[in-house]
Formats: sequence, structure tokens, C-alpha cells
Amino acid sequence: MRSILTMLGIVIGIASVIILMSIGQSAQDLILGQVQGIGSNLVIVIPGAPSNGRFAPPASAQGIIITSLVQRDIDTVKREPSITGAAGEVRGQGDIVYGNNNATISYEGVTADFFSIRNLDTKEGEPLSVGDINSGNHVVVIGPDLAVTLFGANVSPINKTVRLKDVSFRVVGVLSKGGNGPFGVDQGNLVIMPIAVAQKQLLGINYFNDIMVEGNAAYDVVFVKSRITSVLRQNHGITNSNKDDFDIRTQEDILSLLGNITSILTLFLAAIASISLIVGGIGIMNIMLVAVTERTREIGLRKAVGATNSDIMQQFLIESVLLTFVGGAIGITVGAGVVGLIYFVLTTFFTSVGWVFAFPISSVILGLTVSGVAGIVFGIYPARQAARKNPIDALRYE
Amino acid sequence: MEKEYTEEETPTRALRGVTFSIQKGEFVSIMGPSGSGKSTLLHILSFLDRPTAGSYTFQGKSIDEMSDQELAHVRNSDMGFVFQSFNLLSRLSVYDNVEIPLLYSTISTQKRRTLVEEAVRAVGLEEKLYAEAGKLSGGQKQRVAIARALVTDPNVIFADEPTGNLDSQSGLQVMEILESLHDKGRTVIVVTHETQTAEFADRVIRIKDGKVESDSPITTDRLRQGNLK
Repeated sequence: MRSILTMLGIVIGIASVIILMSIGQSAQDLILGQVQGIGSNLVIVIPGAPSNGRFAPPASAQGIIITSLVQRDIDTVKREPSITGAAGEVRGQGDIVYGNNNATISYEGVTADFFSIRNLDTKEGEPLSVGDINSGNHVVVIGPDLAVTLFGANVSPINKTVRLKDVSFRVVGVLSKGGNGPFGVDQGNLVIMPIAVAQKQLLGINYFNDIMVEGNAAYDVVFVKSRITSVLRQNHGITNSNKDDFDIRTQEDILSLLGNITSILTLFLAAIASISLIVGGIGIMNIMLVAVTERTREIGLRKAVGATNSDIMQQFLIESVLLTFVGGAIGITVGAGVVGLIYFVLTTFFTSVGWVFAFPISSVILGLTVSGVAGIVFGIYPARQAARKNPIDALRYE
Repeated sequence: MEKEYTEEETPTRALRGVTFSIQKGEFVSIMGPSGSGKSTLLHILSFLDRPTAGSYTFQGKSIDEMSDQELAHVRNSDMGFVFQSFNLLSRLSVYDNVEIPLLYSTISTQKRRTLVEEAVRAVGLEEKLYAEAGKLSGGQKQRVAIARALVTDPNVIFADEPTGNLDSQSGLQVMEILESLHDKGRTVIVVTHETQTAEFADRVIRIKDGKVESDSPITTDRLRQGNLK
């Protein structure tokens, strides 16, 4: 019973490490999967000077408004043979209303290539046509979840009129897929409209928040990047390469950045969990010290009949490692169970999250290694105390 | 041989120049009142402690020339121990208790089983081989302790007040077993303050105030006459 209670600290510690590492890995897989979904030849141009540090957020994310990306940039970039398409985007938020129903949503104003670059299609109606976009018609394509919120499950939203910031829009299509988009955008509740309407009537701007460029698959993405840089510098009259007013990020850059962020997050979570391991380890040390005291006569006897100091040390170390190892194994099992439960709950009740089940084998190896090492680290002091006992005093111990 | 304990506030001279030798195959009792130094002497003789002055030679080798590891090895292979309070691991079986010294030897697992069974048979407890040691009677516990002392086939058996915690009947049985081991050629050294126990030996070394007061062969008659009391 005492051993079980002692192991509890290690069980909780290892289970926490397993659960947090698994959740971290799942989050990483989810985010990276979304970014990978946009295609490896996709390049994103964002306004503002390139950041020096890999973890520095783009200028726009820091609240700085940079107006350097405009329609002319899209037109000139698209003339490059290494580029198959370019789409400008602007984003905003607002309340959308249909009859008595309303919802707070994110909207995107897009240019003509948007749907093809993002591989978006509709389950009902049509994507925005080139004509609608070029003419700046008041039409929108909405996400499937929003369609249900506004119109109900069995009513077709096509040709219905909705209002967004007091501007009326006719619904022409419903996106076929919900869930989170590549940049954490909830596609299920997204509203997509022609760029001109969003820029002029909703936001009052004439620049883009970003331009997505699709490289020709026949060209290397690094070359595509260099061509975009060259064109944009020419457009913006930049002669000094250190004074770029735009930043170009490839899918690889984004994956690397996100990968780093989520890895750090996972490590951070694991570090928090390992605090409980230390507490558990101290519990093991405590109980081993009690065991050494209680078994003083046994130690005396073993030494009298021929055990050397290292024999005694080995015996107590093996016991503490066994204790932590069994605790670790139980912790891994408990952790796996909890991870499975979380996965079940998320995939059953929160289907829009698109959660990916990840149970990294590295966490199991780490869990077993850490528990074994904890057994040695926290067992070594009690084992030394046992080994150093004088056999005569130990035999007389009451 | 001398032994002085300096760790305490007032240093204690437990042994003050003790000299004697014991031949192979002897049955020797070491007698003396409490605090006379007989237990200290037994600890040194059984390699659990070292003298602070003088020398002690066991089977031709001086204790001074031996490392702690070598002493442990000799205790394991050439010495057997029987204690007043048995020192059995009560939750383990008789088998497991008797096997303990073999765990620190190089004897194979298979051979160990045979040796344990032989040793337990020698003390007449074969039917208790897998019984829990803690549930045995005092006499049975001491017989298990003797089996444990015998299992490595040692040359010398040291017994520290082996009958001290037993009734007279059980004590007699234990001493008869030790006597039979002596008859088979083993050296037996018993520390006791009981004359009934001492009379099984063929020589008594009497210790008083850390010195040998007398060292002589005995007969039952001499004991009865109270010469050694």
C-alpha cells in the first residue's frame, strides 16, 4: 500500500508529461497539417519590412498599418512565367444578419485567383466568379456552419440576401468544408466577398493585408520568391535591399516557424509536468530513507553474511528504480487512456476542431527513461545511506 | 589484540591486550559478564570489526592485509553467523532466508537450491521450507538461522548468545545441533554467559574487563563445581 502511494507521484508526473506532450504534438500536427494543406508552392507576401528574428511577428500583427501592397503588385507579379496565380486579401470582422438571425463573423475580400489558390470549392451554388469580383458585385460565399446558423439546416441560402455592416449581399455559394483554415480562420463561419466591396464599402482602404502567390510547380520556390522580390522592389521603387517594405514567406518558412513555436510550447508543457515528477521523486527518496531505517537490521545481517557496500547500494537502487519504473509504466498507461479520452471527446463533441490523434512514441520512451533516471537520482542518497551502515550497529538496531 | 572506541566522549578500551589462538575443529566458548568485551572480541574474530592495535590472523592471513571487500568475502565463504535475536527476515520464507548468504557468492542458482535444501534438512526443518519465517517458534527460528550459517559450508561458525532468547528445551536442541556440526569437523565459537550453553564446548575463554581471565579446556565436572561461574 505504501509503495503504491509512493508511486502515485511518479504516476501523476509521467501521466502529465505523456498527456501534455501528446496534446502538444496533436496541436502541432493540426496546425502544420493545415499549413501543408495550402500547398508547397504557395508563397505569402505580407506588408512590412522582413523581420530579423525568426520568431518576430509581422508588422501587421503588431498593429502597424502598412499600405504597401496594392492591386498593381498582383497584376505585375502574375505576369511572371514562374507564377500561376496571385490573390490579394483583406480581412475584417462584423455582424451578419438574415431576418432575425445574426452572427459575428470574419470576412475576407478576395481577388479572382483566391478560390483556385486556396483549393476552396462549394457544396452549394458557385464560388465567386471573375465577373462578380472584377465588377465588385454585392455577392458572398459563406461557410457551411454560418449557413446553418443563419438559414437553418434545411433551407438553401442561395440567392438569399444577408446584411453585413448595413451592406446587402446576395449569397451565391456555400463552402463545402468547415473547420479551421490554414491561418486559424474558422472556415465554417467565413464570409468571402469581392475585394473591391470589402476594401471600399466595409473597410475604407485600398491596400491588401496580404497577397498569396502560387508558384508554377516547374519552378523552385526559392526562385519564385526571388522573382516576387524583384518585381515588388521595382514596383515600390526600392533600390536598397535592406529597405524592403514587404516580407515573403514560403510554406516552409511558416512550417518552420510554427513547428518551432509548437515545439517550444510542447517542451514548456513537458517542463511544467516534470515539476510533478520532481515532487514524486522526492516522495520516492523519502520512502526509501524510511525503508533504509526500518531495514537497518536486515542491512546488518546482509553485511554480516558477506554483502559488500556495493551489494547493498545496488539492492536499494534496484528497488527504487523498480518503484519508479513501475510507476512510470502505470503513468504511461494512465496518460494514454486520458489522451484517448480527450481525443474521443474532441472528435465526438467538437467535430469542427478537426483534432488529430497523436501519441508520440518518444513520449513513452521519455516517460520510461525519466522514471528510471528518477529512480537512480532519488534512490542514490538512500542507497548510499544503507551501504554506509556499520554492520555491528545495524545488527544491534532496535 | 586491543580495541578502543574513540567515537564517544570518553574513549572506551573494550579489549586490553587479548592473546589466544583457536585451532581448526575446536569448540570454544567465550564467557564473561556484560561489558567484559566478549561481544567486541567476537566481532573482531568474525571480521565485522578490526582491532585498533595488535594483530589477528585468520587461516594464515592477517586482518590488516585485507580490504573491507576481502573481509566480506571471507565472512561469506568461511564464516557462519548465529545471533541471539535470530535476525531472520520475517516476511520471507525459510528457503529465502537460508539462501541469503548464497546471493553474495558465485554459486549458481541451481546449485543454491540443493545447498539450501541440504542445510534446512540438516536442522530438521525440511517440512517448513516454504513457511514464513516470522510464523515459526523461537527454537525453529534459531534452527533456520543455523541452516543459514551452514549453507555456504563455512569452516567456522560464530554464535552470539544462541540460546539467549530460547526456552531451555529449544536451547538444548540448538546447542546439540552446534555440537553435531563440531563433531563433523567445524570450528564453533560461542559467546555466552550461560554455563549450560558453555558446557557444550571443549574449551572456555573467560573475558573480564577486556582481558583474558582464564583460558582452559573444561569438563562438565568443572562446570558443575562452579569453577567457571
